[in-house]
Amino acid sequence: MSVNATTNPSQLLPLELVDKCIGSRIHIVMKSDKEIVGTLLGFDDFVNMVLEDVTEFEITPEGRRITKLDQILLNGNNITMLVPGGEGPEV
Amino acid sequence: MKQKQSPSDFLKQIIGWPVLKLTSRVLACLDGYMNIALEQMEEYVNGQLKNKYEDAFTGGNNVLYISTQKRRM
Repeated sequence: MSVNATTNPSQLLPLELVDKCIGSRIHIVMKSDKEIVGTLLGFDDFVNMVLEDVTEFEITPEGRRITKLDQILLNGNNITMLVPGGEGPEV
Repeated sequence: MKQKQSPSDFLKQIIGWPVLKLTSRVLACLDGYMNIALEQMEEYVNGQLKNKYEDAFTGGNNVLYISTQKRRM
């Protein structure tokens, strides 16, 4: 069985999807009960992310929200899921 | 003003500025594993000031995020 070395052009790779999201809002779900919404400025191979105008949501029965401005560097180790264009949990 | 910015650019930019993470004060130095050296570090647990350290080192595997406290322009 031969190995096909060429990539399927109709495929969208995960990091390509993240790259498309640069400049737009993104909603990030963490491994813990925390979600982050912000504007994506950039990311690296480890999916550490630089975000701006960030709102942090703690998912508790009260749905607590903390808003941070300026920029953050989010550690990619704790990320579970990314939602391009997402606005975060309903509060 | 938004420009495309990678994590390493962000880190070079924030060196020397007050940093708000979960525990921090002034960012002195940082490496590729997010290990951080800090000056005048204040440690807050559940929003309460617990300890102050003149020089401190934090292991990068516990870092959730690094946020700046003051806009730099």
